[in-house]
Amino acid sequence: MRKVMHKIKKGFVKVLGHEKYQSITIPVFAILLSLIFGAIIILILGKNPLEAYRSLLQGSGLLPKESYAAHKSMLTDFTSFLNAWAPMLFASLAVAVALRSGLFNIGVSGQMLTAGFISTITIGYSAMAAGIAKPLVLIIGLTSGMLVGALIGWFKYKFNINEVVSSIMINYIAQYVFSFFINTYYVDPVSRQSKIVNKTARLTLMDSVVGDLKMDLPLGIILALITAFAIKLLLDKTRIGFELKTVGSSQTAARYAGINVGMTIVLAMAISGALAGLAGVTNYLGYDGSIRPKVLTSTGFDAIAVALLGNSNPIGIIFSSFLIMVIGKGSTYMSSTAGVEAEIASVITSLILLFSACGQYIKYWIKRTKDSLEEESAREMDKREGDK
Amino acid sequence: MDVIFIDGLSFALPLFIMAVGGIYSEKSGVTNLALEGLQGVGAFCGALVAVLVANSFSGDSQIPFYLSMLFAIIGGTLFSMIHALLCIKLKANQVISGVVINILAMALTTFLTKQVNRGVFGAPSDKFVLGVSNRMTIPLVSEIPVIGAIFKNIYPFEIIIIVIAVFAWYLLYKSSYGMHLRACGDNPQAVDAAGINVFKVRFIAVMMSGALSGLAGMSFAYSISANFSSSIYVGYGYLAIAALVFGNWNIFPTLGACLLFGFAKSAGYFIVQKLQMPSSYSDLVMILPYVLTLLLLIFFSKHNRSPRALGEIYDKGKR
Repeated sequence: MRKVMHKIKKGFVKVLGHEKYQSITIPVFAILLSLIFGAIIILILGKNPLEAYRSLLQGSGLLPKESYAAHKSMLTDFTSFLNAWAPMLFASLAVAVALRSGLFNIGVSGQMLTAGFISTITIGYSAMAAGIAKPLVLIIGLTSGMLVGALIGWFKYKFNINEVVSSIMINYIAQYVFSFFINTYYVDPVSRQSKIVNKTARLTLMDSVVGDLKMDLPLGIILALITAFAIKLLLDKTRIGFELKTVGSSQTAARYAGINVGMTIVLAMAISGALAGLAGVTNYLGYDGSIRPKVLTSTGFDAIAVALLGNSNPIGIIFSSFLIMVIGKGSTYMSSTAGVEAEIASVITSLILLFSACGQYIKYWIKRTKDSLEEESAREMDKREGDK
Repeated sequence: MDVIFIDGLSFALPLFIMAVGGIYSEKSGVTNLALEGLQGVGAFCGALVAVLVANSFSGDSQIPFYLSMLFAIIGGTLFSMIHALLCIKLKANQVISGVVINILAMALTTFLTKQVNRGVFGAPSDKFVLGVSNRMTIPLVSEIPVIGAIFKNIYPFEIIIIVIAVFAWYLLYKSSYGMHLRACGDNPQAVDAAGINVFKVRFIAVMMSGALSGLAGMSFAYSISANFSSSIYVGYGYLAIAALVFGNWNIFPTLGACLLFGFAKSAGYFIVQKLQMPSSYSDLVMILPYVLTLLLLIFFSKHNRSPRALGEIYDKGKR
C-alpha cells in the first residue's frame, strides 16, 4: 500500500513538478479533476457522463450533432457560440486589467449595461448606414464604459472611496435608471424588453445566408481576440503597462519610483471600463438585440472567476473564457439530449474554478512532496553506501 | 408614514446581520465576497425544512418558522466552511473563492430545488412557496407617536436579529476571542507569537459569517420574496459588503448604513404611492439609497482604512 502511494506521489511530482510549466499544468489538472467530479455527479443522477460531455461540445458546435434543422449545421452552432463568447472575453479582460493594477472591478456588469443602453438609444434606433453605425456603436460603447470606469477610479483617487463599494452602487444605479427609461420610452409591449435594435447597428450579422446555411456572424469576436493580444502588448511592452503592474504590486514602491499612483489608478479603471463597455455593446447589440430592464447580466461577475482562472493573463484568458463558455453555451443542448439539468453545467464550471483556486496549495503540496521524496532517496543512497 | 419605518426596518435588519457576518470574517483578515451565496444557501436549507415539515404542524403553528431559521443558520455555517477551507487551509485567492462560492451556491440550490420538487413533491417547480411570516405588534410602546411605528407590525425574525446582533457586538468588542479576531486582521504574526492559533480564529470567524448570512437569507425569503427561488440572488450580499465598507468595518456605523438603505428604499416607495405616480417611476426612486451612499462616501471616506492583513494568506514565516 505504501509502495502504491509512493508511486502515485512520484507520478504527480513528475507530471506537475516542473516549475516552468506549472502555470499551465496546474489549471489543466484542476480542469480534469472537476470533469471527473462532474462525471461522478452525473453518474449519481443515473445519466451517462460521456454522453453529457459530448452533448456539451455538440451544443457549442465543436462536434457534429446527429441531425440538424433546415439551414443549420455544426458551423452555425459554432458561430453562435462565438457570438456568445465575445462579451465574456471582453469582460474578463476588463477584470484582468484592473486586477493587474491591484484594483477589483466588480462593476463590469453595470458598465456593460451603461455602454449597451447608451449605444442602443443613440445609434441602435437611428437610420444610419451600417458602415457608419457599427463603428459608432463601438466607439460610443467604449467611451461610455471608459467614463464610468474612470469615475470609479477618480472616486478612489480623490475621495478614497473603495472601488468595490462605488462600483456596486453604480451597478444598482445603472440598473434602475436605465430600467426606468426602457420601461417609459423604449419598451416592446410583447417581449417586455427594449425594442430590438436596427440591423444596421447590430454587431452580429444575424441570419446571414452563406451557401444554404443561415448563420449569425459575430464581428465582435474578431475584435475581442485582437484586443486580447493588444492588452498583452500593453501590459508587457509599454511604459503604461509597467506602471499599472507596479502600482498593482506595491503602491509604496510605485510612489518611490516616481509613478503618479492616483493617475495610474484612474487610467487603469478607465481601460478596464472601456473593455467592459465593449463587452456591453457586443452583448446588448450583438448577442442579444435588446436589453431586459432591471436585470444585470451575470457575465460581469462570472468574468471575475474567468480572469482569475486565466491567471489575469490576456492569453490565458482566451483559453479560460473559451472553456467556460463551451460549458455554458452547450448546457442547453445537454439538458435537452442527455436529460441532464442545465444547472449541472454551472456546477461543473464552479468546480473548475474552485479547484483552480487551490492552485497555490497544489503547487505547495507538489514542492513539499518533491522535497520529501528527494530526501528519502538521498537517505536510501546513504544507507546503501553504509552497507558497502 | 408608519409604513416607512415598518418596511425600512424589515429590510435593514437582515441586511445588517449579514453585514455583521461580513465584519467578523473581514476583521479576522478573510475577504468575504461569498455573503451573497451564503445567504442563498441558508435560505434554501431553511425553506427546504419549512416545506418538508409543513404538513406535520397545524396551519398557524410557528414551529416551522423557527425550525427553518435554525436550519438556515446551520446550512449557511456548513457552506461557509468551504470558503474557510479554501481561504485558510488551501491558500486559495480569497476573492476568487468568494465569487466561485456565489456561482456554486446559485447553481446548486436552483438544481436541488428542481430535483426536490420533482422527486419529493412530484410537482415540477423551481421554487419553495413559504408565504409571508406572521407579524406582531408590541402593545403600549407601539402607541407612542412617530417612534412607536418601530414596534408595529414587526416580523419575529427582527427580534431574533436584534438579540443576535447584541451578542455579536459583545463577542467582537468585549470578549478575548473578539480581541484575537480583530488582531488577526491587523497583525496575525503577533497573534501567533502570543500563542494563539490564527487559523482557528479565522475559521470560526468565517463560520460566523455563514451563520449570520443564512439567518439573513431566510429572513428575506420570509418577507420580501415569500418563497425560495433563484430570485433570492438579487445582490443583497454585495449590498451588505458595501454597507460594511461604508461603516469602516465597525458594527455601529454599519447599522447606520443599513438603516439608511432601508429607510431610503421604503421612503422612495412611499413617495411613489402617495403621489400616485406610474409604477415605472418606482425604479427611479429606487436609486435613492445608492446615490445617498455615494454622496456620503464622498464626504466621509477620507479616513476609511481596511484591516491591514485583509485578503492576505497567513504565512507563518513572514515577518
